[in-house]
Parts: sequence; C-alpha cells; structure tokens
Amino acid sequence: MGHPLHGENLLQRKGKTRMSIIKKIITFRPSFTLRILTGLIAMLVMLSVCTVVAISDQTGLNVRDTQFRARAVEAGAKVYSLQCARCHGAGGEGIEGLGPSLAAESFVGRRELEERPDGSVAYRVVAPSARMQQIGWGGTLEDYIIAVTSSGIPVRSSPVWDVNHPTFLDSLGGPLRPDQIRDVTAFIVNWSLKPLSDDQAVLPPAPGEGMAGRPTPVPLTEQQEAGKQVYLRAGCTACHAIRGVGNQGALGPSLSRIYTVATERIASEDYKQNLRDQPPAASPEEYIRQSILHPNAYIVPQCPQGPCVAGLMPQNYSQTLSPEDLDKLVDYLSTLR
Amino acid sequence: MAIIGQKLIKQVRTTGLKATAAQRLDDAFTRFTAGLSWNDVRGILRGDPPPKPNPRVKPHTEGFWFHIRPSFYHEAVTTLYPTFRLGFLSAVFFMFEIITGIFLMIFYTPSPTSAYQNMLDILTNVPFGKFVRDLHRLGAEAMVIVVTLHMIRTFATGSYKKPRQFTWFTGVVLLVVTLFLSFSGYLLPWDQLAFWAVTIGTSMADAVPGVGPQLNLLLRGAPDIGAGGLLRFYLFHVVLFPLIGIIFVAVHYYKVVRYGISLPPEMEAVGEDTARKVPPEKRVPFLPDILTNELMYMGVAFAFMAVSVVTWYQGAPLEHHADPLVTPNHTVAPWYFYWLQGLLKVPHIIPILPGDLARAVDKVFFDVLGLTPKVFWGVIVGPLMIGILFIVPYIDPNPSRRYGDRKIMLTLGALFAALIVYLSLAGIPTGVPITGFGYVGGDPASEVGQEFIPDEGVGPIRKLPYKEYRVGTWTISAQPNTGSAGLDKLIRDIHASMEHRKVNPDPTGRKLSPEANGTLKVEQKQENLLHVVLTINFTDDTGRATQFVKETYLHALSGY
Repeated sequence: MGHPLHGENLLQRKGKTRMSIIKKIITFRPSFTLRILTGLIAMLVMLSVCTVVAISDQTGLNVRDTQFRARAVEAGAKVYSLQCARCHGAGGEGIEGLGPSLAAESFVGRRELEERPDGSVAYRVVAPSARMQQIGWGGTLEDYIIAVTSSGIPVRSSPVWDVNHPTFLDSLGGPLRPDQIRDVTAFIVNWSLKPLSDDQAVLPPAPGEGMAGRPTPVPLTEQQEAGKQVYLRAGCTACHAIRGVGNQGALGPSLSRIYTVATERIASEDYKQNLRDQPPAASPEEYIRQSILHPNAYIVPQCPQGPCVAGLMPQNYSQTLSPEDLDKLVDYLSTLR
Repeated sequence: MAIIGQKLIKQVRTTGLKATAAQRLDDAFTRFTAGLSWNDVRGILRGDPPPKPNPRVKPHTEGFWFHIRPSFYHEAVTTLYPTFRLGFLSAVFFMFEIITGIFLMIFYTPSPTSAYQNMLDILTNVPFGKFVRDLHRLGAEAMVIVVTLHMIRTFATGSYKKPRQFTWFTGVVLLVVTLFLSFSGYLLPWDQLAFWAVTIGTSMADAVPGVGPQLNLLLRGAPDIGAGGLLRFYLFHVVLFPLIGIIFVAVHYYKVVRYGISLPPEMEAVGEDTARKVPPEKRVPFLPDILTNELMYMGVAFAFMAVSVVTWYQGAPLEHHADPLVTPNHTVAPWYFYWLQGLLKVPHIIPILPGDLARAVDKVFFDVLGLTPKVFWGVIVGPLMIGILFIVPYIDPNPSRRYGDRKIMLTLGALFAALIVYLSLAGIPTGVPITGFGYVGGDPASEVGQEFIPDEGVGPIRKLPYKEYRVGTWTISAQPNTGSAGLDKLIRDIHASMEHRKVNPDPTGRKLSPEANGTLKVEQKQENLLHVVLTINFTDDTGRATQFVKETYLHALSGY
C-alpha cells in the first residue's frame, strides 16, 4: 500500500502549481491508499449501522407495535362513534332494547397494561370475558367482535331484543372495510382497561333466558293473515319492525312482541298518568287500536333512535284504513306475543 | 479420470505435494478471475506497474463481468469533473433499489385487503423491516436526484452532441423510467397518501384527449383504483419498469463504452471527438484504478444511505388506510412531480393575457378542440416538456461543446431548470412565495384546523404528549390557564394562528372574521384515550355565522 499508481503521476501537469480551489476539487482524484481506506471505512460504517439496527430492532419493533395498536384504537374510536354508538351507546354502556353494553366487564373482561423497559407495552388479561364463556365461544374476544361486526350475530342466544345486529363488512353489504372492523375491535377491547361494572351497563340476557316462556307460534287464521297483508301494505314497515316480516324499520318501536308489550303497558303507571285526551284502554287489543288511531295519545319513552317523538306517526289512519282492515290488523298484531 | 489422476500423481512425485497443491489452487483462482493469477492480483493490490504482456486485460477479454467494462479510461475523465460519477451512481442506486425491493417483496401481497396490514407487519414484526423500507424509499428519492443531476451534467458539458445523441435519448428514457418506478411504488403501501397521489396521477391519464378513458381503464383496471389498480401498479413497479430500465441501461451503457466518456469540452477541438483515441500515456487501467474508485464510491453511497436512515431521515411515511370515500386536505403528488401539479394549476391557456381575453381564448380552445386549461397544461404541455428533452441533441445545431460557444443553449437550460423550480413551488399547497400562484386552501378556519389537526400526518395537536392534556372545554385565548404548560402553549399557538389569519389575508384575499373565536374540548373517551375537538366560530364570506369543527382521538401510547 502507499505506492502511487503509475497512472496518477502522469496527471500532475508540470509547471502548474497554482490551482484554484474549485479546480482542485473538480480534478480531485483520491490516491489508491485513500480509495482503499475510504472504501473500508465506509464498509465498516455500514456494518456498524447494521449491527446497531440488529441490536435495537427488537425494541423498535415492540415500540412501533405499541404505537400502531394505539393508533388503531384512535381510528376505531372514530368508526365507533359513527357506526356503533347509536345502538351500543356513546360510552359503550348499551341501550335497552337495542344493543347490549360493550364496555361492561362481563363482556370485555379486564386487562392491565404492563410497561416494558423499552417503552413498549404488553396487555395482561386479569379477567377474561365472562360472556364468551357463557355463550360457549371458542375463539378470542377479538375474533368474536370481528365476527359479529362483520356478519351479524352468528348464533342467536336470546330472543329478547328485536333488533338484529347488522352486517358491517363491506363484502357482506355493510359500510366498513376489514381494517376498519379491526380498528373498531381494538377500540372496544380497549375498554377492558377500565370496564363498566355490570350494574352500570345494559346487559343481554343469559343464553336461553327468555326463551322458555315464549309460546310456540300458532298458524294465523284467515282474518289474521289478511291483517298481516294490511300491515305490509299500509306502510307500517317503513318505521316498525316485526321479526321476519317485511322491511325492518328502525324509527318506531318494534312490534315483534306488541301484544305482550301492550299488556304490560296498560298496567303501567306511566301509561295511566301520561295518557291524554283518550280513555285508558281496557285490553291489549284496545291499546293497539288506540295506538294506531291516536298515536299521540300516549308516547312511549324509548324508540330505536332515542326517546320517541310525538307527531312522528301519521294520525290519519282512521281515514286511510277501512274499519274492516283495522280489525284485521289489530287481530294480526294481537298474535305477536 | 484415470488420465487426470495419473497426471496428478506424476506432478506430486516430481514437484512435491505442497507445490502441487499451490499450483492447482492458483489454477482454480485464475479460472475464477478469468485470467489473473494470485501473483497478478497481488501486483495489482500493491500498485506494481503492469508486467508485459499485461495480464490485467485478460478479465476484459475472457470474463463476462469485465467484458462489459473498458480495460482503460482516459485520465481526463477519471477526476471528479467532468462525470462526478453520476452515471455510475445512478446504476448503483438502481441496483440498491432492486436488492432492497426484493427484501420487501417477500413480505408483501398486492391486494387491498392485505397490503396495508403487510406494511404494519413490516414495521412491527419483520426484523430490519423498517430499516430496509426506509432504505428503499430514500434510495428511490436519491436515485431521482442522482439521475436528474446526471442529466444536468451531461447537458452542461454538451456530451449529448454527436456521436452521443442516441445515448442521451436512452438516458431520457431512463429518467422517465426512474420517475415512473418511483411513482408506481407510491401506491403499494395502500395508505391515504398512496391512494390519492396515484388517483390524481391516473386522473391525468383520464384527461388525455381521445383515448383518456381507455388509458385510465388500462392503468387502473377499473374506473377507480381498487384491487385491479393495485395489482397493475405492483406489476409495473416490480416487472415492467425494472425490465425497461434494465434493457435501456444495457443500451445506454453499451453506447457509453462504444463512444467512450466524452472528455472535458476544453480538451478537444470543436467538432472533434477523441474520447476513444487515448494515447498510451493517458490511459488509466480499469484494474485496479477504476475498479477501486467505483467500489469506493459505491461503499460511500451505501454507507451514506445506512447512516441517513438511522439519523436524519424521518422514515418512509405510512398514513391511514386508503379510503376512497375520504379525500384528505392538501393532497400532493410526490415532490418530483410537483412541477406537473403546478402546471395543472395554470388558470388559463394563455395565462399572461388579461382576464376577459384569457377567458375568451379558453372558450375558443374548449369549443374548437375540447381543451380545458387543465388538460392543455397538465396533459399536453407537461409531457411535452419531457418530450423536448428527448430531442435536445437533434435540434441543437451547434457543434461546439465549449461553454463559451453555447451561451444560448446553456441559458435555455438554466431557464428550463428555473421554470421547473417555479412550477414545483406552485405545485405545493402554499404556492409560490410572494406571487401566491398555486395556493390552494379552504376558508381560513378550516386552514387553522388543517394546521393543527391535519387530515394526514401529525400536526401540533397529535404531537402534544398525552400527559400534557387536561380534560375540559378550553377557550382559545392568549392567556389560557389549563394547568398544563404544554396545553397552554398549544392554545396560545392556535390563538396566534387565528389572530394571524384575521390580519393577513391568504393569497386568495380571504381573512378570518375579526370576531372569530374558538374552543378546544378535551374529553376522556376511554382509559388512555382522549377525544379532542377544535371548534372555531366565525362569520363566513357571505356574512353567515358558521362553526368549524375538527376532531381527533388521541391514545396515550400512539407516540406521534
């Protein structure tokens, strides 16, 4: 090393000693030694960078994993407020008759954050989801949330609530992409750090609960079948829902169990006190008839979109429905127990 | 076998085992180096003058890898000037991108359902994943820069002139390939940045008169970018453009060897080309001078990349998942296409005419040719500017390569470069300083929102650490009192930005109404999760009281 190369000597022009800086730079040619040294140093630098990356990479992966999980929760929060809060409540507390609590400890369980020394975190399950055990779900809680959000409730565990869980996955006709469903799942599971206690939350009934008392459907009579056609024809389905019958409207109260509901209602204090301009109904049939002809006589407290609003339901059914059709309709609705 | 064996035994008997082994090893070594024995290589490394006959040219005649390289260079082109090694470095970066790209391919599936998740996996689950991804991204940008500088250098020294016209032509093809390679890689992460930059890019194809919709359909595989478009861009990126690149690098480099690297202009008589007539005393042998020189530059380039990625380079971005329904504010093309985006903002076909006349000309163009200013400037003039580069050597009549003789051409080149810089400034949302040309912005209130909670990217609100936030509804004022120094400063900054916009109109003349006020609401959404809502009440241009609301969620661990 250190020998000047024979070619380089030829370059130095004789007699020219004063060169401008620029000329020095542009005619610069490193000696053989300098080239080898520079190349070696460059390689060493590169290797040491790779070594540093190799050593620190696991920490980097963990930290970025934590960050991207946190960002998924942020993105999920946005999706939740747009798509889920309507039925499950803004704070995941659940809404009676619409959607059960997602923040309840019996659903999300309870987890703790464990901070690792490298700044990343790990989640430790303190209490697993009791609901998953109750319904016999074999996968993880995340799997269950993704499955239900994507494709609706795969197995119906209880008939108590009349709203079916919609399918949210885009390929199944819903509004959300798979990554958005993963994000919102991350958001829901994040409640497990500080879940609601079960008495703060609206809980679904235990599997099988509410099924026992449910009567076997009896075939409709001719009169009742005609009433069902009236129900479908008169525009009721735009706002109301009867499970398995026509469009599932989500503006007015569900009618799937209206006879049972009517029975409870005429006995309730709220009905007796807040009924206006009409005599109290003596039977559930009478209550149903009253609700169709005089919708504003009594406003029930809870509708799918929040508190029910007076004046929303048309008040002219006494003119648009013939007395015969009205009888048929009331007959049909009275079969829904 | 038997004969070889007998020979070997005979040799061992006559010269001894050690000498035979050494001789056989040297034979193998010589075959490997295509003609250089161990002693030849040692001589090269020691800097000995070549013996006669010179064995160091053998690899150039016998071997594949060296036969594509000349056995000597003219000494005048081995200094930093005139080449600055830019052509060589372009090839180095091309190779660098292929190596890092193959690594990334292993972890990537070109499908909208998995691409973004693959990116997250590369960043959070693949050892060296982020490192290599950043190298690939920085390498792509470095390659654009190096290739462009190479072109500028070739233009400046007049090296595109006879006989190297076609070399220049293939070089411009390679410039276009470089830009398209970079651009096609843009879509692959399938984030918002990717999706919208490429949507803008391909919608330019859509505007091509006549064949636009068909061209667009070919590029995207569907009216909008989706699974088909992603797959196509992936195939462009990993098959088509690299293939074109490799073919044209081969042609380009063949031409460089065939005609030699042009000497500095002042060394030759006008119209002469003496690059291939190198007198023996001016020859610098490839082995070892040029080779070690190139290895050094390559090593320095690679080391520079590696050091950059772990120091100043902030990393290849990854924004939110692509969402065709949400267009982020201030979407921009990659920086090397800013000039094209700037062209798209030219308001009239002849913008220097006074307003009414310019509109009249626009109308004539539209009625007769169906051309809007956007189509004219973006789709016709933009590609023409690249097209002009192709024909530069064929339209330049001046045979001289000397700087003094090429005042007109050098001036035109400088003007062209200045135009590209000006248009690039116009391409970014803030527009050109002073003239304001190219400014795009919504009403001032939404610009405040964009400044503090940008749709994509970070911004001061996400940047403020979680611990600095205090739950409550805070009025935007000059003296906030939230009990947190960080939050106080943030609120002061928002206040300052609003006050600034009340006094200083944006380039379109809009100001924030003087009574405008705002709040910053911070609420606890979950453990570790805050909901931050910026609300600005102002009077809009029509005198109506308006409210601007922008929100974001902040997790304690998102670490922006």
